[in-house]
Amino acid sequence: MTSAQQRWLVRISDVSFTYPNGVQALSGVSLELAEGEVVSVIGPSGCGKSTLVSVLSGLRESTGSVVWNRDVLRELDGSGRRPFSVVFQRNTVMPWLNVEKNIAFGLRYLKLSRQDIRQRVNSLLETGGLVDFRRAYPHELSGGMERRVALLTGVATLPKLLILDEPFSALDEPTRVSLHRELLVLLREYGMSALLITHDLGEAVSLSNRVCVFSNRPARLSSVVDIKLPPDRDVEKIRATDEYQDGYRELWESLWQQINARV
Amino acid sequence: MATDQRASVATRPDEFAPTPDNEQTWSTTGEQSWTSSLPMIIAWRVLLVGGFLALWEWLPKVPNIAKHVVFLDPFFISSPSLIAKRLWQVVTGADGTPLIWPPFLFTVVTALIGTAIAIIIGTLGGLLLSNSATLERVLRPIIVALNAVPRIAMVPIVVLLAGSSSRSDIITAVTVVVFLVFYNALEGGRSVPPEMIDNAKVMGAGSWSIMRRVRLPLVLAWVSASIPNAIAFGLVGSVTTEIFSGAQGIGQLLGAAVDTADATLTFTVVVVLTIVGVTLVVGSNILQRRLLPWWNAHL
Repeated sequence: MTSAQQRWLVRISDVSFTYPNGVQALSGVSLELAEGEVVSVIGPSGCGKSTLVSVLSGLRESTGSVVWNRDVLRELDGSGRRPFSVVFQRNTVMPWLNVEKNIAFGLRYLKLSRQDIRQRVNSLLETGGLVDFRRAYPHELSGGMERRVALLTGVATLPKLLILDEPFSALDEPTRVSLHRELLVLLREYGMSALLITHDLGEAVSLSNRVCVFSNRPARLSSVVDIKLPPDRDVEKIRATDEYQDGYRELWESLWQQINARV
Repeated sequence: MATDQRASVATRPDEFAPTPDNEQTWSTTGEQSWTSSLPMIIAWRVLLVGGFLALWEWLPKVPNIAKHVVFLDPFFISSPSLIAKRLWQVVTGADGTPLIWPPFLFTVVTALIGTAIAIIIGTLGGLLLSNSATLERVLRPIIVALNAVPRIAMVPIVVLLAGSSSRSDIITAVTVVVFLVFYNALEGGRSVPPEMIDNAKVMGAGSWSIMRRVRLPLVLAWVSASIPNAIAFGLVGSVTTEIFSGAQGIGQLLGAAVDTADATLTFTVVVVLTIVGVTLVVGSNILQRRLLPWWNAHL
């Protein structure tokens, strides 16, 4: 599914996962992500989208395989970058750390020097517009800023793949769109791919190159919708375009089919 | 990228600009009733405590009342004025009264040492068990059983083993306080959201690092919430041991007062213990607010 110029980054092949209580969440899911790509996953509520994040990030063991491109891993070795990081839906910003310490949390494990950590955090604070809030604690931030801190914490390790598990679902529409724009800037600036788990069709269309539609639980890949919007899209203006409307309609039909299948 | 303006602490000056007469305005902060203002709250407190003391002082003086209500017999309950006078005497040594300071210091120091030891043991225990499901499954029933042992009933055994010394005070304070701190620490360690731990794991944190950098801050916050009670329990442990052991300390003084049916001295000692307890609790609360500003806002 990747173009000739793009190197594949991770291959998920025939992954299945069953919880200890016997509930099967994933059934033979296969997916490939390439460098520079933004892929979204949508599906009926509770179908197993977040389980895919756990499997992909190594938090749960599954059957099937998750293979990372060895060349990419070799390049990352000792570069102060991680292959992937995850931005979870909630509860990842640590209330006892201020903004800059939250962002720097994961950098300690990359064996970077103090100066490198400081430099990287400063650059991220600049990009994220949080310079004036570097010493603020999470309880002093708005919901949107707290999510921005979570996003920058995920980006801080400069992963090749940023996995986002419904990171903006609790936000109001304007804040969400503003963060969509910031996310695309970050992905471009730091050369990252993204896998976005979302239930928001507009979000999926706005941000992605392609969208994978999952079936009801146990989740299978039921269809893939290519989004024909340019990579340097302006998320605030694309909603009126035909490409956005077409993508949204196609996604809605695919998703509705899955929801009806359950009924 | 634009900064989210909603978090700005500065208030725009036009927010409170005067409005034309034809527009109705109302307070967005909610007008505070005068009955709930701070001076009124303080006045209510003074009235309640003053009223209680006045009743205590004057009610027993009603002719023949002690014959009908034994609790109002001044022989048993003394009076606030006598207690205040005795308090002055034991604090200053006036009229040749022995000073309260040596036993006072003995009790406070032993209680604080015992409490501090219990806080360290309880915190470490709670932290370790919250970080290891296996360890918790192994030790939990044993800890529950130990917690069910009435520690005060063990005081005579402690005194027999450790002798009539400060060691007995400290050991009792530790045994009384440790479980209180332990359970708080355990809950604190367990209260870490699973997403936070998953996030740390994904970033490369191992079990030790998760315990130190993710669980410990919340454990310390929960433990800090238990410190006022821990101090109060530590004092109870030390004083009770002194009553049993007859070792120097406030408890010994209290025992002597009870033995000689000296109600005034008994209440004087109780007042001193209350003042000590309140001072330590207020001090620990101030320290908590200074050291853990995020925790109070988090609540």
